[in-house]
Amino acid sequence: MSGAELRAGVDVGATSADAVLVDERGRLVSRAKVPVHATLRDSIAAALDALPCPGPDGGGAPARVMLATHAITDDLEHRRALTRVGVLRLGGPLTGALPPLSGWPSDLRAAVSAGERIVGGGTDHDGWTATPLDVEAVLRFLEAVAGDAGAIAVTSVFAPVAPEQELEVVALVRRELGAGVAVTPSQEVGSIGLVARENASVLNATLAGPAEHLAAALTGALAARGMAAESFFAQNDGTIMVFEHALRFPVLMIDGDTGVSIRGAAQLSGVADATVVDVGGSHTEVSVLVHGFPRQATPPTEVAGVSSDFRVPERWSLPVGGRTDAPDRAAALGWELADVDVLDDDPEQPGRPIIAVGGAAELVAQALTGGEEVIRPAYGDVAGAFGAATAAVSGHADVVCAADPQRLEAATDQVSGEAIERAIHAGADPARVEVVDVEQVPLGHLVEPAFRLRARAVGPCA
Amino acid sequence: MILDDDSLPDFARGCAILGAGGGAVDLALQMARYAVGEHGSVEVLGVGEIAAGDLVLPCGLVGAPSIAEERIPSGDEAASLRAAVEARWGAPVAALMPFEIGGSNGLMPVVWAARLGLPLVDADTMGRSFPSLTQLALELAGVHECTWLLTDGRENVVVVDAADCRWADRLVRGAAASLGGLCAAALGGVRGAEARPGVIEGSISRALVCGAAPDGTGVRLLDGRVADLVRRLDGTRVHGSATIQGSGADEGRWVRVELQDEYLLVLEEGGVRAAVPDIIALLAAPSGTPIPTERLRVGQRVRIVALPAPEAWRSAAGLVLAGPGAFGLAVAHAPIAAQATHVGS
Repeated sequence: MSGAELRAGVDVGATSADAVLVDERGRLVSRAKVPVHATLRDSIAAALDALPCPGPDGGGAPARVMLATHAITDDLEHRRALTRVGVLRLGGPLTGALPPLSGWPSDLRAAVSAGERIVGGGTDHDGWTATPLDVEAVLRFLEAVAGDAGAIAVTSVFAPVAPEQELEVVALVRRELGAGVAVTPSQEVGSIGLVARENASVLNATLAGPAEHLAAALTGALAARGMAAESFFAQNDGTIMVFEHALRFPVLMIDGDTGVSIRGAAQLSGVADATVVDVGGSHTEVSVLVHGFPRQATPPTEVAGVSSDFRVPERWSLPVGGRTDAPDRAAALGWELADVDVLDDDPEQPGRPIIAVGGAAELVAQALTGGEEVIRPAYGDVAGAFGAATAAVSGHADVVCAADPQRLEAATDQVSGEAIERAIHAGADPARVEVVDVEQVPLGHLVEPAFRLRARAVGPCA
Repeated sequence: MILDDDSLPDFARGCAILGAGGGAVDLALQMARYAVGEHGSVEVLGVGEIAAGDLVLPCGLVGAPSIAEERIPSGDEAASLRAAVEARWGAPVAALMPFEIGGSNGLMPVVWAARLGLPLVDADTMGRSFPSLTQLALELAGVHECTWLLTDGRENVVVVDAADCRWADRLVRGAAASLGGLCAAALGGVRGAEARPGVIEGSISRALVCGAAPDGTGVRLLDGRVADLVRRLDGTRVHGSATIQGSGADEGRWVRVELQDEYLLVLEEGGVRAAVPDIIALLAAPSGTPIPTERLRVGQRVRIVALPAPEAWRSAAGLVLAGPGAFGLAVAHAPIAAQATHVGS
């Protein structure tokens, strides 16, 4: 077996770090489970060291390493390593009734914000420019935050319809502050809904710091082992993205470990529609698998007290796990599970089975006494690592479009093309990436009937 | 009575319940909390406390909710509208008032009143949400005052002197489209003296009471789960139909909920359990959060409740203007209070 065909998946959880090695057909070759170490780098290293590699002379070393971790979410929740962000909104004279970050927890806002300002700009829903971009005000703002801000988030009213003003600001930031200051234009991370999109942009910008830590931990662990593997990170829709893409869009890594764990449960069990119960050491996560992918929560979603519109898996986190201090852990889990309504018979998918994975998956069958069908796939204790190792790469795109058939067709082509382009940028094989889904959502009484189109493209990594 | 940071969450939930599914309130609640945080709480007065010659400004937003999600108001819209109204009618604006208590329009006047330092009047002109500006209690009371003032918050003010309410609705919507699909609107020339017969009194108090009650003070019709949901676009309006499968004590029951911008009908075994203008709300279970029509989805656990419409809408003239027939639904109205004795318990 050639090492070029092997992939490693690493999943660093709260109590254990798991690693798997899979072959080019997605079959499990070996696996390891070790306790977590004090640093992410050491946890990754220990899991990789414990992983038996086939073949002599390192011939069995993986060519690709896929990492899933809760570190990004943890850093945000504990306000660690966050990049300070200059928050610029192009919307004046409107939007002042709800200034940037006004709904944020005050300590998070203090940790993140290098300054916020609304300047003249934005367009109407049809792309018409009522207020030209106030370039002078943008420059004054950049001057005010220079030195403090490590990143800029820029959000323009109706940017998903008219992207130009945000892109103009991106160019101004490059010119004034240099390439060392990253810029997140809101059009790249969110959809219609100014405040939710702005929040997602600011989260993306501030997570640059944690993302760099994560990248350094992985490259450090690999370099120390002389491994020259290409690195990927788990996204929250159960897919993965290349290193460079993850550094640009760290917000997509929030709950990425949950996403690939759900996907791993699907791969290991061969079941595409199920409820997934993942029992870890300290807690249990319940989520829903639809056609092999995690079901997304209905926006607005909340992360670290911030409401935003980016997609995260719908999940229920229960404070019971395999190492919980309780006289009867199965009974305790049973009590918690009884309150999760996805375990009821769901009219959308009657008779949906339950897949039990995670280090303490055996508790699920003991906890459920209602005769539910519980599937416990082999190697379910490393579902997250396996899901990461076998994940595809995805790209998403959104567009708002008038509801006449011709324009809808053109817009469908456009949004599909963008999704494919983003999937390729995230590391998908251009020859094998395809659009798996174009969702049409009618927008309630707009001036003229309109739809929001959302395309998802998925392909194996190149 | 005052509206402040403590009472606004209940008030917003009440507005959402009285909104009968017509639009989300989360953004407007954030705006209202921000406004009272910056400018102080808002006093709420009874209709009788307004001097006869003083003006009351019934106001809110007109246009597309999806545009309102993107084009957040400046917060200064009511200042322009107040100035325009005072100049034209030559009297001071003593208070603001929501023209529509339901949905985010119940909260926007709080934002504006806080910023202007003016009180609100405990009343509105709909008692719930309606999609059309013809569905006003003022019309039923014979107050055919149909001057609307509009602004987009960008220094444009449009005055619509319409021949009657039907024209007003048409002209205001046309102007709103030109202003970018969304504008702030106020009904002009409403004076303290004539406000009393023409408005629905106690709307703000009612929203506060509804918002604090687990079932929103409504009659519980069914606990269940959304089993099926169909939506189609008819012109610019979404028409939908949700099938709810009863669960728990309601196991074995099935109801259908007809919806457009709002929830309009609850049908069971061919009979009408609740119908517009009575207020139908779907509350997410177990949180009790009202679900706007656009966020309803298959698989959700819901409790269906219905609240009686304000008295004005239960008259013959009220039913013509806002009964099922006004929404193209060929069923007779079955008032909710009359059913209360034998529905659920």
